[in-house]
Amino acid sequence: MSGTKPDILWAPHQVDRFVVCDSELSLYHVESTVNSELKAGSLRLSEDSAATLLSINSDTPYMKCVAWYLSYDPECLLAVGQANGRVVLTSLGQDHNSKFRDLIGKEFVPKHARQCNTLAWNPLDSNWLAAGLDKHRADFSVLIWDICSKYTPDIVPMEKVRLSAGETETTLLVTKPLYELGQNDACLSLCWLPRDQKLLLAGMHRNLAIFDLRNTSQKMFVNTKAVQGVTVDPYFHDRVASFYEGQVAIWDLRKFEKPVLTLTEQPKPLTKVAWCPTRTGLLATLTRDSNIIRLYDMQHTPTPIGDETEPTIIERSVQPCDNYIASFAWHPTSQNRMIVVTPNRTMSDFTVFERISLAWSPITSLMWACGRHLYECTEEENANSLEKDIATKMRLRALSRYGLDTEQVWRNHILAGNEDPQLKSLWYTLHFMKQYTEDMDQKSPGNKGSLVYAGIKSIVKSSLGMVENTRHNWSGLDKQTDIQNLNEERILALQLCGWIKKGTDVDVGPFLNSLVQEGEWERAAAVALFNLDIRRAIQILNEGASSEKGDLNLNVVAMALSGYTDEKNSLWREMCSTLRLQLNNPYLCVMFAFLTSEAGSYDGVLYENKVAVRDRVAFACKFLSDSQLNRYIEKLTNEMKEAGNLEGILLTGLTKDGVDLMESYVDRTGDVQTASYCMLQGSPLDVLKDERVQYWIENYRNLLDAWRFWHKRAEFDIHRSKLDPSSKPLAQVFVSCNFCGKSISYSCSTVPHQGRGFSQYGVSGSPTKSKVTSCPGCRKPLPRCALCLINMGTPVSSCPGMTILQYSLLS
Amino acid sequence: MFVARSIAADHKDLIHDVSFDFHGRRMATCSSDQSVKVWDKSESGDWHCTASWKTHSGSVWRVTWAHPEFGQVLASCSFDRTAAVWEEIVGESNDKLRGQSHWVKRTTLVDSRTSVTDVKFAPKHMGLMLATCSADGIVRIYEAPDVMNLSQWSLQHEISCKLSCSCISWNPSSSRAHSPMIAVGSDDSSPNAMAKVQIFEYNENTRKYAKAETLMTVTDPVHDIAFAPNLGRSYHILAIATKDVRIFTLKPVRKELTSSGGPTKFEIHIVAQFDNHNSQVWRVSWNITGTVLASSGDDGCVRLWKANYMDNWKCTGILKGNGSPVNGSTQQGNPNPSLGSSIPNLQNSLNGSSAGRYFFPLLDSPQAGSRWSNYAQLLPSPPPPPPPPPSLPLLAEHSCDADTANLQCPPPCRQSLSRPLNPLTENEGV
Repeated sequence: MSGTKPDILWAPHQVDRFVVCDSELSLYHVESTVNSELKAGSLRLSEDSAATLLSINSDTPYMKCVAWYLSYDPECLLAVGQANGRVVLTSLGQDHNSKFRDLIGKEFVPKHARQCNTLAWNPLDSNWLAAGLDKHRADFSVLIWDICSKYTPDIVPMEKVRLSAGETETTLLVTKPLYELGQNDACLSLCWLPRDQKLLLAGMHRNLAIFDLRNTSQKMFVNTKAVQGVTVDPYFHDRVASFYEGQVAIWDLRKFEKPVLTLTEQPKPLTKVAWCPTRTGLLATLTRDSNIIRLYDMQHTPTPIGDETEPTIIERSVQPCDNYIASFAWHPTSQNRMIVVTPNRTMSDFTVFERISLAWSPITSLMWACGRHLYECTEEENANSLEKDIATKMRLRALSRYGLDTEQVWRNHILAGNEDPQLKSLWYTLHFMKQYTEDMDQKSPGNKGSLVYAGIKSIVKSSLGMVENTRHNWSGLDKQTDIQNLNEERILALQLCGWIKKGTDVDVGPFLNSLVQEGEWERAAAVALFNLDIRRAIQILNEGASSEKGDLNLNVVAMALSGYTDEKNSLWREMCSTLRLQLNNPYLCVMFAFLTSEAGSYDGVLYENKVAVRDRVAFACKFLSDSQLNRYIEKLTNEMKEAGNLEGILLTGLTKDGVDLMESYVDRTGDVQTASYCMLQGSPLDVLKDERVQYWIENYRNLLDAWRFWHKRAEFDIHRSKLDPSSKPLAQVFVSCNFCGKSISYSCSTVPHQGRGFSQYGVSGSPTKSKVTSCPGCRKPLPRCALCLINMGTPVSSCPGMTILQYSLLS
Repeated sequence: MFVARSIAADHKDLIHDVSFDFHGRRMATCSSDQSVKVWDKSESGDWHCTASWKTHSGSVWRVTWAHPEFGQVLASCSFDRTAAVWEEIVGESNDKLRGQSHWVKRTTLVDSRTSVTDVKFAPKHMGLMLATCSADGIVRIYEAPDVMNLSQWSLQHEISCKLSCSCISWNPSSSRAHSPMIAVGSDDSSPNAMAKVQIFEYNENTRKYAKAETLMTVTDPVHDIAFAPNLGRSYHILAIATKDVRIFTLKPVRKELTSSGGPTKFEIHIVAQFDNHNSQVWRVSWNITGTVLASSGDDGCVRLWKANYMDNWKCTGILKGNGSPVNGSTQQGNPNPSLGSSIPNLQNSLNGSSAGRYFFPLLDSPQAGSRWSNYAQLLPSPPPPPPPPPSLPLLAEHSCDADTANLQCPPPCRQSLSRPLNPLTENEGV
């Protein structure tokens, strides 16, 4: 406390007060500001606390150290050690009528003036104050004062004279200490040992000494350099910390020869070391010129008793503020709370959090433990769907029977919450695939049906026939454009894209109508245009502009569209090709791209990523030649596979390519639910044999188990076993012999047993010899029914595949 | 948006670990007070402590649940150099009537000569196996050959890591393509920089665990390590708590490309590294899908991390250790002191009812839709669908309780069972 470096102390009993001392003493009062505004004149200590200055005391110059009177004291009685070795009692209280009034101003004067280094109040006898002084020749350096003693040189020092309440004539100067210790030495730090009132631990020059006041001629000491800042662990009275330069030594008083532990050395010298008063084994240390307080969490330190244990010390550091810290003080009662002060007297109040351990529960709640307390954190129910994690989404979807609508397959995307465009595309694709597979199977019960599930990529590849392109007239325009003759495969592809309906009818009319109904004017117009019906496109845009939620600008677009001219160098063409890039809506953009493109090169449409894949593919099927189309589809498929975009299932179908695509989708999202249900839609079994698909299914079932959705899992299993007979659940009821405990279940051959291996105990033989009279394991006769005398374990029905055992458990 | 509430834990000293069972309906905590507490979730969602007993003669560092298929089994590890396996005794007793459960020690694993720092059950498909790691740098893998007899555990493997171990994590993947794998972290703070994370893989041929990978970039002490639930992904995700939060992905190079028999080769990428905790990170935990990571650090905060569709990880939430919100910009190292004042109130609510509710905002709301969102293609509606089939009442999911039974398989749906059993009613059976 050399005037520049403030120290800070919490009041031991009035827990909302603290003192900052540098050249003067300033008393502050701490208030919570959680529910109130910051008052004028108060200093903010943290987000929700502030300090108000109550009083300043500058009566005591040359302060070197300060110690707060330990017993209950409403008047803030403080002992101040001065540079001349005097100890002064002073107060920051306003009330001058207290019983301590007479003590205030009292001075305790050593024989020779030298610096007072440290002060310590005795925790048991509150009137005893120990002062540690610098060396002065052969004088004593540890003086113990009784603050209530008068200046009575004639009285023997051992005799304590206490101040009675009524006495008034008190001398303010006391020169006779109660005890004098540490002759011919210097004292740097002091602390009373809580074990006994008369034990004092002192950090002397080059040794630590324990003075026993019952026998002042003896002391116990150990030579060490670590003599500064001696302090006793409040939870473990034999444990003491002291420091020297950058090193902290931990001592056990029961084995005082050497430190039981030294902590890792810090590059800068330490200035303060303090045990946390509210928590066991937490030591805070501060080094010079640092903004970090280093904490040592000593869950288990070595003890001299018992065998050697390896220390479990966790080193932590906290940074309460950005500036260097001059000093800190633990709050006496609030858990792990401390206040720090910087050299320029800004203060900060903060709490050292314990190490938090945490765990997620399967139902998206997070539990953590901080100190001795538990906190549970749950996701808000009404969270925006975009914010929801896939775990929550899958859970909700499982509850809404997502994936289980096998008739109206497209509806699954509504069950999924109708919020994800990719899922929507996926389920419509699967819906169309199912629909057209059924169609195909009806028409020709050949193998064609499985082709539908193989996706457009395979469909297009299979059309090897030469396709002539023909020139088609634009309706309402004097123009012709090459359009591919639609063979069967291309029609199927268009159907899968949803542009045309069932049957050979190639009319996109119904599709346009439905788009208009949904209010997708731009898309409808683009589709109309791609079908060379510019009039219809303009009409749709007009309709859109006049509708309630439509955009008036659509009229402008319609106007621009109507100005279409086929001339190569017209202003219209020039402006359109430059301005179209500024259009926000991708469909409007591709419309102009289409109109301004050269015949046969439609890259502006085909590679516009914002346009739905199915529209681009349908467009490609209409306008690209076979080789171009194959190349384009190939390229797009790879793109989709890489991105894990579910729209690409339209191209890959439920093939190995589709599994690859789904793999990158699962990698990206973790949505095994969609992956499992999607792969369980198709009839082709080979994808189900893929290890990855089985693994997704297994993971999804595991999720359902974790959520305790037993019914959902059963539904899933039923759904799965319909498509994948090999996944039939294992037999779950067995009849066992009560002699040997082995299964006597009969025809196990129909059920492929795995795992538990009960099948090996099954009776082999033809089903006609169905009479079992003895246990196959131990040959003991099986019990019979009391009425019909049939042995238990005999199948009731000989119907194969439906083995029903007499269900009477042999207790 | 997340909401936090406090639960009166009533431990007499620091809680070191929290662990949920497979279903998230039971929870175990362990503490320096040498005890373990088991908590059960009531129908109303409150947690009730149903068992509390002294487990060790030192701080209990970790506690973990076995898969319910093996019964209600816990394992704990402690500073007292042992790990222990505990089983709940099912049956009518006075304890049961008082809403208390009774746990008995099945075995004590005493092989370690130093503090046992972590204990984890292996994924279910591997059987009933348990891994421990200790401060002397040895990972031990035990197996209970007979799942009905939890007092018999044989030490199957001892893996020497040469560094004081602090944490282990099993790779939860049950895919046949992935061999059993365990990651070990070390908090050795000795200055000679060595990689602090090692990954061991089981080799079918040698029947031993061999080192598959060492994460050379992690050289600071590691406090926690966690594989994400695999959930069908083709790669593994590993989160590491060291001086920052790190997330690695390990993509197995396809087997056919590597020489068979040797350890699997991995393409290892670090996909995220965050020093937002500003200091040491203590714990990391994945949610059930491995899509959200929670971490806790010396700044006294819990942070949530989530990847967007581009695999960019971002902080999506911060909560202070005492459940209160972090206001706006996070001011590092200036946590509020309200812990001291608010806790006494919380402790009054005995059975863990909510005492205070706090909100914390989603800091980084996901981008409003990817490029797909605005131009979702709308397809023609097929003919109006029939009304949706009535979904099963929600309560039905919770009514069948699987936890009590010691079954080999989780109870299947009653519907599927009822069909084959139908002919066997009283009329026909005998």
